[in-house]
Amino acid sequence: MSDSSHSIPIGKLLRADNSQFVAGCRVRELETPAFGSLVRASLADDTDVYGLITNISINDDGLVRQLVSGVSIPGEYTADNRYNRNLPVEIHVLTIGYQSEGQLRHQLPPRPPLSLDQLFLCGSDEVARFTSLGAGYLRHILRLTDQPIEELLVAHLSQARRVQDSLGNPEWYEDACQRLIVLLRDDYMRLARVLDALSELE
Amino acid sequence: MEPQANLSPENPPIGFVTGGGLEANLQVKLTVPAQTVQEGAFVVMDSGNWRFYGLVTDLQLAAVDPNYASQLNSQRFSPRLARYLNQNTLYTNLAVMPALMLEKGPDPASPEYPAWAQNRPEKVKPITVKTVPDHHAPVKLANAGDIAEIFGKEDGKTIFRVGETREQGHAVCLDLEKFVQRSSGIFGTTGSGKSFLARMILAGLIHANNASTLIFDMHNEYGPSSTSSDTGQPVSGLKQQFQSRVRLVGLGAGTDFGALHADFQLEIAHKDITPEDILQLTQTLNLKETTAATLDALQTSFGENWFTEFMNMRGKAVEEDEEGRRRPAPDSVEAWANEAGVHVGAAESLRSKLSRLMNRPYLVNSPASNGLAEIIDSLQAGRHVILSFGRFDSELDYLLVTNLITRKIRDSWEAATNQYHKDKKVEPRPLVVVVEEAHKLLNREMASQTIFSTIAREMRKYYVTLLIIDQRPSQIYDEVMSQLGTRISGALGDEDDINAVLSGLAGRNALRGMLAKLQPKEEVLMLGWGVPMPIPIRSRRYDDIFWQELHKDGQPKLATTADYNKFLGLGDDDTD
Repeated sequence: MSDSSHSIPIGKLLRADNSQFVAGCRVRELETPAFGSLVRASLADDTDVYGLITNISINDDGLVRQLVSGVSIPGEYTADNRYNRNLPVEIHVLTIGYQSEGQLRHQLPPRPPLSLDQLFLCGSDEVARFTSLGAGYLRHILRLTDQPIEELLVAHLSQARRVQDSLGNPEWYEDACQRLIVLLRDDYMRLARVLDALSELE
Repeated sequence: MEPQANLSPENPPIGFVTGGGLEANLQVKLTVPAQTVQEGAFVVMDSGNWRFYGLVTDLQLAAVDPNYASQLNSQRFSPRLARYLNQNTLYTNLAVMPALMLEKGPDPASPEYPAWAQNRPEKVKPITVKTVPDHHAPVKLANAGDIAEIFGKEDGKTIFRVGETREQGHAVCLDLEKFVQRSSGIFGTTGSGKSFLARMILAGLIHANNASTLIFDMHNEYGPSSTSSDTGQPVSGLKQQFQSRVRLVGLGAGTDFGALHADFQLEIAHKDITPEDILQLTQTLNLKETTAATLDALQTSFGENWFTEFMNMRGKAVEEDEEGRRRPAPDSVEAWANEAGVHVGAAESLRSKLSRLMNRPYLVNSPASNGLAEIIDSLQAGRHVILSFGRFDSELDYLLVTNLITRKIRDSWEAATNQYHKDKKVEPRPLVVVVEEAHKLLNREMASQTIFSTIAREMRKYYVTLLIIDQRPSQIYDEVMSQLGTRISGALGDEDDINAVLSGLAGRNALRGMLAKLQPKEEVLMLGWGVPMPIPIRSRRYDDIFWQELHKDGQPKLATTADYNKFLGLGDDDTD
């Protein structure tokens, strides 16, 4: 199991399959996870499953609908609904690798995490460790069809680049960009959108 | 040469094979900047136990998707991303014409190597390509060892360096032994450096001394030293450099060689002119169809003196007999025609037309010496002859003299060869007849009339070949062009000329563009039977350094007394 000293618990698993999973958290816990962040679900068998936050969704319920349709909502009602509601905030995670028996791999795990497994936000040291293995895991992101991958890439690469740059490894970002170009060069429109987005990071 | 002898460091790969075949060229994806490679580059590809040799015939810009090429990426994306994008999506494709392959065997460190080494032939030679390298076979620019493997290594004698590869400057040689075995040609437009190239090849031939050369020097530029019209620099002549090994012959008296003196003047005896020589001037003299019959009658009447006798006849001379009747004078053409049963008009017309030859000062009744025999003796004795036409540079002079001398040569060499086949004693000395402005002798109309097309087609087995120097190869008869073994061409602009130089060769389409884009005065394309594969080269400069390098080995190695005698020009007369 990964050293979790710098990891921050952000929720518990709701549902999962091999390639993605969804965790739930309370609204008050929502200040730390961010779109594109690297997260880890720790399984009972000492396997860690890594993923990127691809979406954070807040679902409505009957009470919210009633409140929204009201003329004015007192502040305490809003606060009560946000912090004491029964429905969790859903954090959607794309699986991009796992660690088993101390070996980190940029492949899908043999088994998905189980419900109520704890989800952690990875700290800088874990981001550094995961990304230092190379940029091959970016191929998992390109699988997404229902998400704006260019925005996800910008969000994730800016995090990873900051960590790698701080370690004196600016080549990592260059390698990652080249890897992306190689992976996406057969799809001009998609690559152009990604490079447009990445150009804003420069 | 053994493949293992290639100790030159290998060049790094420049790309890899992605497709293609023997017919349609191999496709190679370039992994280095396009400017690293030029059209005509000599490349090698290793695949399995074989090394393949090929020639880059085209470079084409390509992209993974046309959109990457059509948009200016640097304006749309950040400079760094645009650079990465261009590196990974834009590339260059090479079209490589595979030419030769050489079995190099398995890796010497592999367990298969000893078995292969035991069974391989003693001398592994490159063979014409018969298969293709695998997909993704690495492609490298040929190194000096590869080029020496194919074109030979300069030996100061018959393996003669004619230039260097354009990219890396590796020496490219011509095997002069092979070069003289078949007729060959040097082509190029005016100003393409053709004359310097010809001088250089001739210097190599004379230095190698494996064949005699007879140079018909129409413009008096090969024997004496001269001055380059382009640079104003002095240009060494062959006579000056090779001294007694080259005999300088002036046509008629008074040929000016500057500071040099002619070894002798060529005067041609009337009796050496045969009806065949006249017939070969049919077009130039505008002779009629009746000429052959008239000439035949003249020879019947007067034997070998026919020309003198005919020239002594008077045209329309008449005299009165005792009874006052007008009749042809006894020394008139008409009188002879009547006696010989020849049409009078035809005979008088021929006499009139041949009067153009009568006033050629080099045609004399009794020359002081037998210049024709001396030329042939010199050539058979291993010397080289430059016949300068001096002031007699008209087409008529050129056609008459070259035909006449060459016919004598054909007779001599045929006799010598037949003798050799009988007694196996003295093998005839190979002879190269160098013909400038060859289209004047070998154009479609003339080819059938001159002796040169016969030499190009048939004289190889009699040890005589042609070296044609011309700027309009398209004007030369196709049948002659197709017989040329080695072709060395400078820049050619005209499409017809380019097609003519490539006639009868495989891979013509691929070579066409290469020939059109040669750098004038610097680059030439060598191709044909005499070279293992076509290759464009930066030609060697014909300057003082050239002569220093040529002479640095001193005189050619002389193995036997016979060689030595030949070198001194003594020869032996058994071949006469």
